[in-house]
Amino acid sequence: MRRLILVLAALLTPPTLSLRAQDIALPVKPDSVRFAAIGDMGTGGREQYDVAQRMVEYRRKFPFDFVIMLGDNIYAGKSPNDLAKKFEIPYKPLLDAGVQFYAALGNHDDTNERFYKFFNMNGQLYYTFQKGNARFFVLDTNYMDPKQLAWLEKELPRAGADWKICYFHHPLYSSGAFHSSSTELRLLLEPLFVKYGIHVVFAGHEHVYERVKPQKGIYYFTEGASGELRAGNLQPTDFKAAGFDQDRSFLLIEISGDELYFQAISRTGVTVDAGTIRRPGAGPPRPPPTSAAGLVRLP
Amino acid sequence: MAGNSAPIGERGHAMRPGPTLRAVAFLIVSPLVARAPQAVPGSQEPPAFQEFRQRVEQYVQLQQALQSSLPGLRTTKLRKEIIERRQALAKKIREARPNAKQGDIFTPEIGEQFRRVIQSEFQGSNGPNVRKTIQQGEPVGHLRLTVNGAYPENVPRTTVPPALLLHLPQLPKEVAYRLIGHDFALQDIEARLIIDFIRGPIF
Repeated sequence: MRRLILVLAALLTPPTLSLRAQDIALPVKPDSVRFAAIGDMGTGGREQYDVAQRMVEYRRKFPFDFVIMLGDNIYAGKSPNDLAKKFEIPYKPLLDAGVQFYAALGNHDDTNERFYKFFNMNGQLYYTFQKGNARFFVLDTNYMDPKQLAWLEKELPRAGADWKICYFHHPLYSSGAFHSSSTELRLLLEPLFVKYGIHVVFAGHEHVYERVKPQKGIYYFTEGASGELRAGNLQPTDFKAAGFDQDRSFLLIEISGDELYFQAISRTGVTVDAGTIRRPGAGPPRPPPTSAAGLVRLP
Repeated sequence: MAGNSAPIGERGHAMRPGPTLRAVAFLIVSPLVARAPQAVPGSQEPPAFQEFRQRVEQYVQLQQALQSSLPGLRTTKLRKEIIERRQALAKKIREARPNAKQGDIFTPEIGEQFRRVIQSEFQGSNGPNVRKTIQQGEPVGHLRLTVNGAYPENVPRTTVPPALLLHLPQLPKEVAYRLIGHDFALQDIEARLIIDFIRGPIF
């Protein structure tokens, strides 16, 4: 019933009337790692601009420092004008505010995007970076060759951070009917994630939002609807924990100590999912945060 | 926010598969061992693949020499600069290989070895997964490929099945395999050019 209400609210609330809907389900703790996640956004269409505007609005209450891009950052044409229309203009307020973007490449991206300074790839197709107590591993799942796998296996054990987060374009678990799970990639990557203690994985590609029940102790999110959308594409699966396929969306994430808080927000500003993940292996949990959005506390 | 670090990427590392990767690779490869033993990583490489490596290396040396005559590759906020550099490199490569044609790198012998490995992959026990990977990558329909032709900007990069990449010769970072319709191509990823291709092994 709650999901139905959320979906109806998303459908019935015009974007221009939803400024009120900036309920933050995140604690906004001092010195926390705060970021947003977007995927499959680079259409240059009105919906991408709406989501970008919503991100700007939410940033006033949740000042995130960076954005992870889950691929398909620039669809179709790759001219300078395309890049302006599909990236620089919609996210200009964020760029002007000093927000950093860290891109993974999708199947619609040009590999030369790795030289585009705003994407922070430093000329590399796959790379790693650290923010606070979180280490991020960014992969190119269009071309998972032995060289990249060897690089990942070399870098993972070197990560000294509390949180290990991996992101890339193709979801290892997806309830989307169009693409579904990337099982071949899962066969290769999941053993490494388990062995070296990856905690959370983000992907795009499937044009929906989805949170997956922990698989072998790892939390999986798909956010592939920050510009594109396949409405009604989510199918029942035994691993789906939550999903939203009625409008575009983006994710806000906050990491503080041993807890990771997340909030998925629709284009119209409706919170479609929220919760807290406690880092496996951490000590006893602190009291849960309170929120008007109704946090889901995950095991 | 303390403890932030700049991105560290794939360059500058000697890449040898780690223990987990070797174990996983074995699991994926093992159903194919009986059919294509020469393609198993770590085993004796077939002469056709050795020849292929040499031809690719010659191409990369040419590309690097041509790159050195261009402004240095760097990250930039100016997208125009990236595109112009790519176009300039493509032009120089075309001028340097005006008579390049299909089969220069994928000679009949090399092409046959590639067909054998690709078909083994499609027909093996992992075949359904391989096909699924290609389908999930939004496969490109029929394109008329030409050597020295540009990979079209509006066409997505078809996902190359990881299990297939485990069986084929590893490539230098300047080039990559591409699946384009039923064809199998070698692409210069910096100039976005088709270097050579094999017709029809993808089915």
